[in-house]
Amino acid sequence: MRPCLLSLSLFPLIASALGRPQTHGVHPSFLSKYKPEGSTWTCLDGSKTISWTALNDDYCDCPDGSDEPGTSACPHNTFYCTNEGHIGASISSSCVNDGLCEPACCDGSDEPAGVCENTCAAVGKEYRKVQETARKLRRTGSKIRSTYIAFAQKEKKRLEAEIESSEKEVVLQEKEVSHLKDLVDRTEAISAEVLEHKTKSPLYASLITHHNALKSLQREHRKHLEREKQLGDILDNLRRGYNPNYQDMAVLEAVRGWEQLAHLPHIGETEREEGSDGDEEATTPVEESEEELEEGEWTSLQLENELDGLLGVDHISLLMEHDAHVDDASSVSPQHDIRAYLPDFLVPQYEALRDTLVSWLQTLGVVRGSPNAASDATRAREKLNDAERNLDSVRKQLETARSDLRELFDLAWYGAEGEWKKLHNTCLTKDTGDYVYEVCLFEEARQKPNYGGQTFSLGKFDSWNLSPGVTEGSAEYYSKQVYGHGTKCWNGPERNVKLDLTCGTENALLTVAELEKCEYLFTGTTPALCLPLEEDRESGKDEL
Amino acid sequence: MKVLVPALSTSLLLLAFIHPATSFKAGDFKTCSQSGFCRRGRALAERARENVDNWHSPYSVDPLSLSLVSERASLTARVKSELYPDIKFSLEVHVHEDGVIRVRMDEVDGLRKRYDEAAKWALAAEPSISTDIQWKVDASRARAAFGQQREHEVVVDFKPLRVVLNKNGKEQVVINGRGLLHMEHFRNKTVEEPQVETEEEGSDTQEVLKVNPNAWFEGNSEDAFWEESFGSWTDTKPKGPESLSLDIDFPRHGHVYGIPQHATSLDLPTTTGENPFFEEPYRFYNADVFEYLASATTSLYGSIPLMHAHSADSTVAIFNVVGSEAWIDIAHPNTHSTSTHWISESGILDLFILSGPTPTDVFRQYGGLTGTAPLPAHWALGYHQCRWNYVSSDDVRGVQKRFDEEDMPVDVFWLDIEYSTDHQYMIWDKKNFPDPVEMTNDVAALGRKMVVIVDPHLKRVDDYPVYKQARDLGILVKQKNGQDDYEGWCWPGSSAWVDFFNPASWEFWKSLFKTTKGSSWSWIESTEDIHIWNDMNEPSVFNGPEITMPKDLVHYGGWEHRDIHNINGMFLPKVTSEGLIARGATPKRPFVLTRSFFAGSQRYSAMWTGDNLGTWEHMTVGIKMVLSNGIAGMTFAGSDVGGFFGNPESEMLVRWYWVGAFSPFFRAHAHLDSKRREPYLLDEPHRSTVRNILRLRYSLLPVWYTAFHETSVTGLPILRPHYVIFPQDEAGFSIDDQFYLGSSGLLVKPVTRPGVTEEIVYIPEDKVYYDYFTYQTYRGSPKGKHVTVPAELHQLPLLVRGGSIVPTRDRPRRASSLMHRDPFTLRVALDESLTAHGELYLDDGVTYAHKEGHLAWRGFSVNNAGAQLRLSNVDLAAATPRSAVEGGAIATFDRQNAFQRGIESVRVERVVVLGLPDRPKRVVVEGGHDLEWEYAPGVAAGAKKDGVASVLTIKNPRLGVASDWAIQITL
Repeated sequence: MRPCLLSLSLFPLIASALGRPQTHGVHPSFLSKYKPEGSTWTCLDGSKTISWTALNDDYCDCPDGSDEPGTSACPHNTFYCTNEGHIGASISSSCVNDGLCEPACCDGSDEPAGVCENTCAAVGKEYRKVQETARKLRRTGSKIRSTYIAFAQKEKKRLEAEIESSEKEVVLQEKEVSHLKDLVDRTEAISAEVLEHKTKSPLYASLITHHNALKSLQREHRKHLEREKQLGDILDNLRRGYNPNYQDMAVLEAVRGWEQLAHLPHIGETEREEGSDGDEEATTPVEESEEELEEGEWTSLQLENELDGLLGVDHISLLMEHDAHVDDASSVSPQHDIRAYLPDFLVPQYEALRDTLVSWLQTLGVVRGSPNAASDATRAREKLNDAERNLDSVRKQLETARSDLRELFDLAWYGAEGEWKKLHNTCLTKDTGDYVYEVCLFEEARQKPNYGGQTFSLGKFDSWNLSPGVTEGSAEYYSKQVYGHGTKCWNGPERNVKLDLTCGTENALLTVAELEKCEYLFTGTTPALCLPLEEDRESGKDEL
Repeated sequence: MKVLVPALSTSLLLLAFIHPATSFKAGDFKTCSQSGFCRRGRALAERARENVDNWHSPYSVDPLSLSLVSERASLTARVKSELYPDIKFSLEVHVHEDGVIRVRMDEVDGLRKRYDEAAKWALAAEPSISTDIQWKVDASRARAAFGQQREHEVVVDFKPLRVVLNKNGKEQVVINGRGLLHMEHFRNKTVEEPQVETEEEGSDTQEVLKVNPNAWFEGNSEDAFWEESFGSWTDTKPKGPESLSLDIDFPRHGHVYGIPQHATSLDLPTTTGENPFFEEPYRFYNADVFEYLASATTSLYGSIPLMHAHSADSTVAIFNVVGSEAWIDIAHPNTHSTSTHWISESGILDLFILSGPTPTDVFRQYGGLTGTAPLPAHWALGYHQCRWNYVSSDDVRGVQKRFDEEDMPVDVFWLDIEYSTDHQYMIWDKKNFPDPVEMTNDVAALGRKMVVIVDPHLKRVDDYPVYKQARDLGILVKQKNGQDDYEGWCWPGSSAWVDFFNPASWEFWKSLFKTTKGSSWSWIESTEDIHIWNDMNEPSVFNGPEITMPKDLVHYGGWEHRDIHNINGMFLPKVTSEGLIARGATPKRPFVLTRSFFAGSQRYSAMWTGDNLGTWEHMTVGIKMVLSNGIAGMTFAGSDVGGFFGNPESEMLVRWYWVGAFSPFFRAHAHLDSKRREPYLLDEPHRSTVRNILRLRYSLLPVWYTAFHETSVTGLPILRPHYVIFPQDEAGFSIDDQFYLGSSGLLVKPVTRPGVTEEIVYIPEDKVYYDYFTYQTYRGSPKGKHVTVPAELHQLPLLVRGGSIVPTRDRPRRASSLMHRDPFTLRVALDESLTAHGELYLDDGVTYAHKEGHLAWRGFSVNNAGAQLRLSNVDLAAATPRSAVEGGAIATFDRQNAFQRGIESVRVERVVVLGLPDRPKRVVVEGGHDLEWEYAPGVAAGAKKDGVASVLTIKNPRLGVASDWAIQITL
């Protein structure tokens, strides 16, 4: 804005606005209400009738301020400047007659006559030039945008095809599962009773308890690991950031203690001074020196890698195997060897019968050469499990494809025309010297240090612009993305990003600012926001 | 802005994390028992108390040595101590022309010299000693009577030495009445000195085996004479003990005020005697206190050793000019008396007794000594928007844009330390501030200013020209060897400090602010629209004892840091403001904000109460602290709106804006870790409430500016506590949560508690008061009266005292500089006799042309001539030109001065008269036309009942605000 350099003495004592027409500053849509009724006029709120000459006399008569559209006498008013040769504009009455020529009022009507030059011709010209440039940009951008839309259409077809084939696959797999399920049901019917009994064994019950305990322990262990990591981060920050000259013994001891625990070298003043922050050695504590393990105890590596496998074991199968195992060891179990209870003369008949039964079962494919019903059931169950997993995976694939298709044209995701789909996981970066900031659209924003150190997540895609008053799917809605729940600032919030986007021919990050601790504002451009110009849209329709 | 440890450094945050409730680290700062000389001083007082019947002061005047200076009311004499007959002391007592007595005492021909320059820096000018007052001397005392009726008398008793101020034969101030005067003489260290450890709380004095005949007075040990440890620091004391103990009693004054800066009530609570309110004495040792307590006697950032003593009969004050660490105990032996004990570490005794007898006299007398706060730039009274930090020039532009979009007035945008490269002040971080001059110009284009921080610690790197030049000039503070530059730790890391006691530093520092290229480096990437914020000037040193410099560092002239510590903070703003005045072709009034200050700092800078917390307690005590600073001359004061630390909820923030809008200095500020809280970010209805608060501040700017003007001339505070305006109303002596704004008649009681819907306001007199917003009347009574006033969040208890005329500019503008041509509204609040008066002072608000008489100073009055009221506008500058500007610089006033001609077109657009008994018959300009007016019937000023007052609104009388005229209202 240009300050007004006019000397005060040019103002006459009588209100400067005198000599202005009564309708000065009135918005065109209200002009019809500014007509005298004889020599009087009634305030727009009807509260008071005043002399027509009291309009724009630089004294606020009406409680609603309507008598002073062209002066600053009433607070909370707006002033309209026609800006002939350009476009009209409304400004706050607090900007009227304040000595500054408002850029919004290029006709200078916001100040007494003669104070401000009428620059509308030049301003209008410049405005049109800028508009034209913007139009060109938008036109170019919208062409790129149309390729995004085309991409979305292709994507739609691809997904539809995928859905179709997945649906078929699901049908097939469902058949297979139901077939196997039948078989298992039948086999298990035989063994269910046995199983029921066996699962009541104290050994099995204890196994399940152990399993549950181990699982809980693993959960707690993970929680503690996470906590330890957070504490480690806090202490690393403390170690790097504390001021050694402050000589606070409590802080110093905390740092030294941490260094010892984490096997880090003592951080010296010289080391802190220049650039050492960058090539800091890894801050995760080095692996604890191997402790003496009791026989059979797991190493931490085993715990990390093998515990999940152990917890994934199917206990029912295990129970069966266990029985088989026990049977092999003590083959003379009386319950099992029915022969012991049979009179000798019947044994050959029994053996014949048994062989017949087994071969019959084998023929059915329920057991493979095993005489044990439970074990047969196990195998059947495994097969069923495999088939069910397959079915699950195909269903998931289908579900993904369906949801992708839904999201493709969902306003809250890729827009009505799917124009944003193309940009999914497109990563934009901005190098600010100390850091590279990156946002992978619809995924995650990150801060990567250029001189070593930790990369922080600044948040995952959360939503478009959900500010109050913004309609879903509007241009304003798509002008902002929100990324939330990034790495927590241990003394502040979880890092988060607001990404303000405007139409541009490139997908690019322009600026990055941390306006508050751990709250980032990115600005950038994307062709996805370049809506086709009205006239292009018309001609586009014609072409179609 | 700032705290003792960089909050960026996680160490402190970790501490805060561990102790969220108690963040003030008491262990960082000494208690009296950890400070050797304070311990000795309090022990002395304890011995005197225990042996009260046998106690006597060992100090006496040698009558034979007494001499009087001819033609001047000065007395000099030798003083002896019976403890050390060989040690000689000198005593001087001077009576000044304006009712001030100066008492100086020093050791003569001692081993070393006591620091004697504190007054040189504190005083604005050498005071004139009376030439017509005579001393009368007899064998036991000398006395001099003064005052208009010779009602005052200063008495110097010889044995023991006492100095007494009497009024009408009654003791008002008694120095050494309790015999606690003790000036420790310089001595040589005896070889086998036992070391006294002082680390332990309340460490007992250690027994020394030799028999000390002076033990009855001095005690039996040489406690911390030669060395003192605190934490990991050891203070070597090469000069040995040199402390000064002094009792100053006010036998007839039950209330004492002043000695800022402490976070306490205005009426100072006791620290000794029966059931003392505080345990610790009030401490003076300028310090960067992290998250200071909202009620404590601990030292804070500044020290003004001025104390008012008040009773319904008189007001007196003492100004004990001491630059070293000092401690003050206060007791009330009974409700109508006060005894104080001052213990300081080094320096001579240089004490001023201000005889009053009214508060107004005391302000005049103190202003005569240390000077008044000069009239600031008008824009500096607007709203200041600050944050640690606005992160880029585009951020600054964005904040400005948001203010304008919300139509919220603001005058100044601030930049905290992060604008600079590695905290090398004046060196822009070009990554984020690539275009600092353009940014400033963009702000200035809307009539606004910027304030940018320049701290005193200089990063010790050769490519920082400010440091390099200072080092090469040899003007840095030295280590205790007096040779090597001292190195400490602050924001930039390893830092050095300019020793501003060295006169060679002054021109150097001033030249830095030149905005055009010269022979040496200067800040050419700045403009005259940039003003300066001086922070951390206690000085704050992160790795120093008590977060400041070691006491044994050496300053110019060989003085130890211990001698000048509390004065130190005054220099940076002094020299900075001088630099700002000198930087342009036309001198313009500078704005400098300082955190640290001393007596006299008001001549150079505004101050704020430092790093407060976003709590109701801090909001409350901030008002008391601003009042206390105000009565000690540091009138341009305020607290960070919103609280520096924390994220205040909306209710608290809104209340804080009300508080800020009625503080002389009105700035919102926030810590780096806090959420953004610029007023436009508030949700409705709070956003609109704050917009209204800001607009109220701006509409009242004529009142504020007139109050600042009065202060610059009279030394009276801008915010006036009750005892200042109603010195005889006992009920008001302890009130510090409501106050008057200058002489305007506006009485304010900000709300500083949550959930309030109404507030009780004390009306101290039998007068009608009007609610500023609703015109509801509230009547007082002769004995004072408490009334209940609505105080919801969007409301403020703001009353206009009947008999006042309040000039305002009611048109909302974006910045104060855009209001200069706006018309005025006069609100006339009639009193019971239908009279009223008010004042308005105007000038260009920027330059020093007012000192050449380019100003307008108007008086408005309503006189009641029976059937007719006459509202007149008269020229006060022409009537009393000597009172028109500070220092009485104008002898005659030219009504045709350029400023007055320039505002001929500025008119009164509206006159609102409250409390007329009936609809007027006619309203005319005297000798001119009839005026348009409206009348809303209501309660009359003299009525018995309360209600909404009658309101006469006179429309646009078309009269110049700076012209002589009168309006007649015919009843």
